[in-house]
Amino acid sequence: MKILLIAMLCGIALFIGYKISKKYKNRYIFFQSMVMLCQKFDVEMNYSKERIKNIIINLDEKHKKNLFGIDANYISFLNQESPLNEDSLFKNIQFLKQDEKNVLFMFFKSLGRSDLDSQSKEIKNNLSRFEGYCKDTEAEHKKYSALSIKLGIVASLFIIILFI
Amino acid sequence: MLKKILPNDLYDLLKTKVNFNCINEIRMRVNKPVVLAIGGQHIFLGENGVTANVKDAIRVSKIAIEDIIFRASECSIYSVNDQIRKGFIVTDSGVRIGLGGDLIEEKGTIKTMTNFTSLNIRIPHQVKNCSLPAFDYLITNEKIHNTLIISPPGAGKTTFLRDFIWQLSERNFAYNILVLDERGELDMGSQDVLGNFADKIAFASKKVGFENGIRSLSPNLIVTDELGTREDVDAVQSAINSGVSILASVHSDSIESFCQKENFDTLLKQRVFQRFVLLSMRNGPGTIEGIYNENFSRLRL
Repeated sequence: MKILLIAMLCGIALFIGYKISKKYKNRYIFFQSMVMLCQKFDVEMNYSKERIKNIIINLDEKHKKNLFGIDANYISFLNQESPLNEDSLFKNIQFLKQDEKNVLFMFFKSLGRSDLDSQSKEIKNNLSRFEGYCKDTEAEHKKYSALSIKLGIVASLFIIILFI
Repeated sequence: MLKKILPNDLYDLLKTKVNFNCINEIRMRVNKPVVLAIGGQHIFLGENGVTANVKDAIRVSKIAIEDIIFRASECSIYSVNDQIRKGFIVTDSGVRIGLGGDLIEEKGTIKTMTNFTSLNIRIPHQVKNCSLPAFDYLITNEKIHNTLIISPPGAGKTTFLRDFIWQLSERNFAYNILVLDERGELDMGSQDVLGNFADKIAFASKKVGFENGIRSLSPNLIVTDELGTREDVDAVQSAINSGVSILASVHSDSIESFCQKENFDTLLKQRVFQRFVLLSMRNGPGTIEGIYNENFSRLRL
């Protein structure tokens, strides 16, 4: 019984450590993919005036996966299947802060609403903002991801020592 | 065709209360009644279908108009800005939306249009056999005469051209037809509409389209809509000199007023066009008022 309890508590400690680490990693890869998406928008719009929906659909699978469904939620708005609001856009995304959500929401809201020059400028502005987020989240990821896993391990070892 | 661009409530209303096939145009102006053009008549759209009473007419907001334009551009205004600068958008199904709003000029050129205040949604139709009464007059010994379709706006020029191309295909006239579709509305978004022998160049000016098309696609016949400028006329002249037949249309409400149009004097003097088909709205769009030869002698009607 005691061993079972120790195993359970250790598992919980490790899981919490892993989840916190995952959150930092997800934030980093999400903004990495947003930077990629912005670059793709900029190139495809300027080169062939490709439509937003096609650009998102043709994004490679790895980056699509790393956008955590924000691409599919936006396409659902383009297809008139859902309105464009924060609830629908960030469905299933829990790791973003409110100010980041505001920036992302304004970015998606402004997509496709202006002529090429203005759209291109807007995308470049957002690109530099996402690059900033990307740097910050990378630093957070490097700093806290490994730390959270280590803390999970330390906590579980502490639990084992405490019970033995 | 309109589901993708109209607000859901308006689309449902049109679908359930009005016969879509009858509508030629839907006109919307900010906070003004929605007007439908049906068979040459203008009538309001109300909650229960068409109405003659302006008080029962539904009205559209500025946001709704902007949303329609956004949807018509497939949510990518920048991709249709070249069209917006010319005052219209054509959807992938050939629906042409005329735009009213504020033009933004910069250094003498139109940059874009903003502050949209009105729309004219023109719904293309494929009226099978509408060109048949004129068909035999436009072809002699399997040679297509250079022909000009003369008609006021909305009287069926484009529909006539579309059907004529279809009729050629139906009869297996193996002409290579080049459809120069400056506004992308002739084929209604489907190559099937133009039959088996047509190639299409869309969204190019007449000059560029004619030059490229003749060089690369070797057409026997070029079909194009709405000649107007001197540049268009020069492109026609050059194509005819290359041995290609032309079927084109022009805005005018009578032969007399057409003859007074500037830019066409040289073509008329040289009798470049051997046939003229005059269309009107007298019995609804597409009414053939007369077919004339190069001397403007009436051949029919």
